[in-house]
Order: sequence, then C-alpha cells, then structure tokens
Amino acid sequence: MHSLIAAASATAETAKSIKAIALGVGAGLGTIGPGVGVGYIFGKVIEAVTRQPEMRDEITSIQWLGFALTEAIVFYAFIFGLIAFFLG
Amino acid sequence: MSRRAKIGLGVLGGMLAVVVVLGVVFGKEPMNNSYQPQNEFKLDAWVSLHVGSLDLSINKAVLYLFLAAGLTVATMIYIANRMSARPNRVQTAVEAIYGLMKDNIAGPNNIDRATSTRWFPFIGALFLFIWYSNILGYIPLPVNSGETFRVFGVNVPAFQIFAATANISVTLMLTLLVWFAYHIEGIRAKGFVGYLKSWLPPGLDNVPLRVLMIPFIFSIEVISQFVRIISLSVRLFANILAGHLLILFMGGGLVVLLGLAALGVFTLPLAIAFFLFELVLICTLQAFIFATLTAIYLGGAVAESH
Repeated sequence: MHSLIAAASATAETAKSIKAIALGVGAGLGTIGPGVGVGYIFGKVIEAVTRQPEMRDEITSIQWLGFALTEAIVFYAFIFGLIAFFLG
Repeated sequence: MSRRAKIGLGVLGGMLAVVVVLGVVFGKEPMNNSYQPQNEFKLDAWVSLHVGSLDLSINKAVLYLFLAAGLTVATMIYIANRMSARPNRVQTAVEAIYGLMKDNIAGPNNIDRATSTRWFPFIGALFLFIWYSNILGYIPLPVNSGETFRVFGVNVPAFQIFAATANISVTLMLTLLVWFAYHIEGIRAKGFVGYLKSWLPPGLDNVPLRVLMIPFIFSIEVISQFVRIISLSVRLFANILAGHLLILFMGGGLVVLLGLAALGVFTLPLAIAFFLFELVLICTLQAFIFATLTAIYLGGAVAESH
C-alpha cells in the first residue's frame, strides 16, 4: 500500500516537473518569433529615419504601435503556458 | 584603463564579493515549498457581497479599480477647473497628454473626424483610466491581506504591487465594452446588412468561384472579429501580469523559492531595471495601444470601404 502511494505521488511529481519543463520550453519558443519581429521593426525604423529624418515623429508613433502589437505575442505564449501549467 | 572601465570593474568586484559573503554565510537552504508566488494575485474577499449566484465581493482588484477611477476623475476635473491662459507645469503636461489623445490616438489616421468628435470622450477616458490603473500598479500599497506585519500592535497588510489591469476580468470587461460599442456604431452608420457587407474586402466581384469565396472570406472575417476580443484583452492583461511576475521573481521571489541568498545580488538590479522599464515604457504604451486600437476599430466600423 505504501509503495502504491509513493508511486502515485512520484508520478504526480513527475507530471508537475514535465509541465514545468513544458511551460519553460513553450514560453521560450514563443519568444523567438516576437524577438525577430521586434528587431525587424526597430531595424526598419532606423532605416526609415535615416532615409527621411523629417518623417521622424510620424514614424515614431507607428513604431510604438508595431512594437506593442508584436511584443504582446510573447505574452500570449506565456499566458497559455501558465494556463496549461495551473489548470491542465 | 579608462575611468569608466575602472568603475565597472569595481562594481562587478563588489558584487562578486557580496555573492561570496552571502554564499558563505547563508549557503544553500532547501527549496521553499510553502511560499506560493501565485498568492500575490489571489483575490481575497474583504467585504462579501453575493447577489444570487453573482459574486460581487469587494477585493483588492475592486479597490484598485475604484482608486484608478476616482483619481482619474478627481485629477482631471481639478486641473480642468483651474485652467488658465498662462499654464503652469502640470497644465502643460496635461495639455500635452490631451494633444496626444486628440491628434494621435483619436487622430485622422485612425478614425474619421465626425466619429472622432463623437467618441473622443470615451477613447480619452479609456486611455486615462488604463494609464492610471497601470501606474497605480507600480506603487507599493499595503493591500496584501494574505501576509501581515505588526506595527505598534496592529496587523498591517504587507506592501505589494498589484494592478487592476493584471486581472483578466477587468481587461475583458473593457474589451467587451469597446467591442459592442464599435459594432453598434457600425450598424448605426450602415445598417445591419450593410455593416456585415462592409467586412468583406473590396474587389471580390470578379474573383473566380465567387459563390464559394465570399462565404469563406466572410467566415474568416467573423473569426477575426472574435479574435479581437481575445487579443485586445489578453494583450493588456498579460503585459501587466508578466511585468509584475518579473518584478516579483527578480525582486526576491526566486531567492526565497530556491533558498539561495547569493542569487539576489544579480536578480535585484534586474528587478530595478524591469521596474523602470515597465513604469517608463510599458504602462504608458499599453494604455496607448488599447486606446489606439479602440479608435482604429471604431474608425474601421464606420469607414466607407474596408
């Protein structure tokens, strides 16, 4: 009987560890795309501002819009990882 | 060696010395299993209020909502009442924010002039309310009813940072408000069928297999309208929640969880950096994005072509 309880708690522990690893890997993979995207946005902004410095103000406001929209994707991955971790 | 390099090396050496001292004095304690980081976001009912099956209890998030709403109304009315032709510094700042809302968020790029005039109070109030509640989220307040400390024999709730917008219910409610508002505005402008037709992109009249393509594209548009609910609410919620989690873990949570005091030497500067990043950039940016997207959605709902 004791060994049965020990085995059950061991599987629960293992399941929790696997979930933790899955959360880490999922959130980590989820940062790749937005990381590329944010870099692309700022790179393009630098390019655009060096070509047309007089458009700077207009470009800056679009830049932050693009940045925030892209950056939020990291958090979608993270939040769905957390949901899977705590509720799954 | 330049002066800057010397200072950098000195700081690094000092940090390493503190790490060694902490490592020797405290060593590695066993993993702390009693500390639950998610309890920072747990909402204990302070005043229990139940209407039927509805739970309307007053809790931490409700307090933050009232604080943010009250502060928004109070400061803006106060400043509006003492406007003068020779503005002081506060009035100049508020006028700059007003200009940002008027020309940029509800500006001609996002929304046409007539709709902008009609909906500007809503968009501006949304921006200011979200901004205030985000900023309130970075001021430590004694609201952690789970942990207390004693001052002169009185149990005071522990200080913590919490934001109303780090709660999906709040952002989802704001999003639903926006979602219904722009659909109703679109139906009012074009009629029900006309509004649904305006979801389709122009130029579908001469594509091959029209009978199949139009329902297909229309169903994609319907899905995208519903995805807007998720993206708008989760973007704000997750940004603020992740910011608070980062500050929580870097500012001590990791050290307590792992029982590794020496780690704090590296995580605490990171916590300060994240705190400043969130306070300076993210909390303003998220309010800006929410209000801008509201304006874009409203503008798109009444615009003539898709």
